Amino acid sequence: MTVLEGQPQPIQRMSLTEGWRRAWRTGDWWRHLGLFGFLFFMFLPFIITIIISFKDIHQFDHYPFTVTFPLHPENYLEAWRIVSRYILNSIITSGTSVVGMVILAAIAAWAFARYPFPGRELFFFGVLALLMVPGELTLIPAFLLVKDLGLLNTRWVLIAPYIAGGQVFAIFILRQFFEALPGEMFEAARIDGASELQVFRHIGIPLSQSILGVVAIMHVLSTWNDVIWPLVTLRSNELMTLTIGLYAFRTQFYTIWGPLMAGYVIASIPLIILFAFTSRLFVEGLSSGAIKM
Amino acid sequence: MTTEEIRAPASHATMADVRVPQERQSTLGQRIYRYRFVYLMLVPTFALLLTFNYYPAFMGLYRAFFKWDIGLQPEFLGLGNFEKLFIKDDIFLKSLRHVSLLTSWRVISAVTFPFIVAELIFNLRSNVHKYTYRVLTILPAVVPGIVILLLWHFIYDGTHGLLNAFLEGVGLEDWQQPWLGSPKTALYAVTFMGFPWVGGVTVLIYLAGLQGISDEIIDSSLVDGCSGLRRIFAIDIPLILGQFKLIIVLAVIGGLQGWVAVFVMTAGGPGTASVVPGLWMYNNAFLWNKMGYASAIALFLFVLIMGMTILNVKFLKTGDY
Repeated sequence: MTVLEGQPQPIQRMSLTEGWRRAWRTGDWWRHLGLFGFLFFMFLPFIITIIISFKDIHQFDHYPFTVTFPLHPENYLEAWRIVSRYILNSIITSGTSVVGMVILAAIAAWAFARYPFPGRELFFFGVLALLMVPGELTLIPAFLLVKDLGLLNTRWVLIAPYIAGGQVFAIFILRQFFEALPGEMFEAARIDGASELQVFRHIGIPLSQSILGVVAIMHVLSTWNDVIWPLVTLRSNELMTLTIGLYAFRTQFYTIWGPLMAGYVIASIPLIILFAFTSRLFVEGLSSGAIKM
Repeated sequence: MTTEEIRAPASHATMADVRVPQERQSTLGQRIYRYRFVYLMLVPTFALLLTFNYYPAFMGLYRAFFKWDIGLQPEFLGLGNFEKLFIKDDIFLKSLRHVSLLTSWRVISAVTFPFIVAELIFNLRSNVHKYTYRVLTILPAVVPGIVILLLWHFIYDGTHGLLNAFLEGVGLEDWQQPWLGSPKTALYAVTFMGFPWVGGVTVLIYLAGLQGISDEIIDSSLVDGCSGLRRIFAIDIPLILGQFKLIIVLAVIGGLQGWVAVFVMTAGGPGTASVVPGLWMYNNAFLWNKMGYASAIALFLFVLIMGMTILNVKFLKTGDY
């Protein structure tokens, strides 16, 4: 059971218009209609956000939801001045923690998958059990712990727990994948004199790039969107991540809708860029059949 | 397999049964010594897990039985916190009613709307269209959650909001409300936000299940004259019960834990009109420094989530096909 098994579907070679014509002939049109309906309402808030982000106050008062001219792109400059710092902080936090998390999780999962060391299942259960523990239970003691460690209001207060917590799910997924890799390949490498480390670095990791990508993306998504932990552990505006930064930004710009909405748009761009480059990993990773009970 | 085993082909030890008696020559101590580098590989992982996951989790369980205000010596209460919680704390009891409404709607919406979308996409004949719709449905999932929450905050806004503007547009001015500001509507506004309730990830999970149904089953059902809605109910749904189970578990957990949305939208207000247990825990801990009492709420949530998950897994049986 690996995420990789879902091969990308062979995409039929035909032009888009031909596809639409065929959709009409085969009676798919009402499915398209239904999907358009759903998608319209799913995207409506975003479309309206973009429309409002180009308005000044008067335009919003008179025609709040339709496109008005002249457009006011300077809203974006105003929002960028404030939001850019939060975006940078989020990139630093999620970036550092995802690198650390993937390295540690890959090493641990490799150990669990390929070596029958004494206590393996016990240790693995020790990791898995944490999947059951909700964040609510650990929130308060973890807060007091980082307070005692003097980490409050530093970058590490986010990064260290994100690395620790993110590993759990990643180890679970990666172990399954590593176990399914054909063992003969590693035997061959060992007979040729490769060390354990070389086997891991030069065979294991290259074979697992896409699953590592899936795990990394899921981690970035969850850390990027975290609200409560940064909210209780960060005080200074210089360190705030995007989520709580936007929250503060909303209070500051309340009813100045143009720049506010521009800020929301800017805030969404980094993940959309990430998605644009890795959409295949997103879609394949989630729809390959590996995720079910 | 390790190099040692390769050099000694007589012992047919595989990964699973290294403990067979033939390996008597290596005692537990020796085997631990042989794999010492493996334990070294696990050290960083477990150091972090013990510090940031295990210690807080056990501390949370332990301190739930204490009166523990910041700066004061913890005082053992036994079940005192829970007694107060379920007997004296009316707001907590109210929050339980609220969270059951939120969670029920989450489950209902998660097994209906995304499944409809998944069926629509699955039954398209063109693979290009299928792929396009998959990407389009997942796209909103990439927008940060906080942006979506803040957008819904705007949609519900009393004076400038989209919802009130829409009601005015269709001539229902009487229905206009400060949706999040009125005690009558705040909870419902929070519950039903997210229209049309189609989560991209959920759709993809259903689609994965549908794609896993073998073509033979679908073909033979067509031969037997089973198509359309009938096929969905007789074949698709029973065959992807595993996915439904996962979605239901995730929705229940998400509903019980999903107090961040309430926090951002209404902070439990106005008054306590939309308070949920997670938020009540947060207020006790971080507004009023009642860490012990808050830990008791957290422990209750933990038990509740665990119990619901076990119930779901147990009673929603998956057939093996």
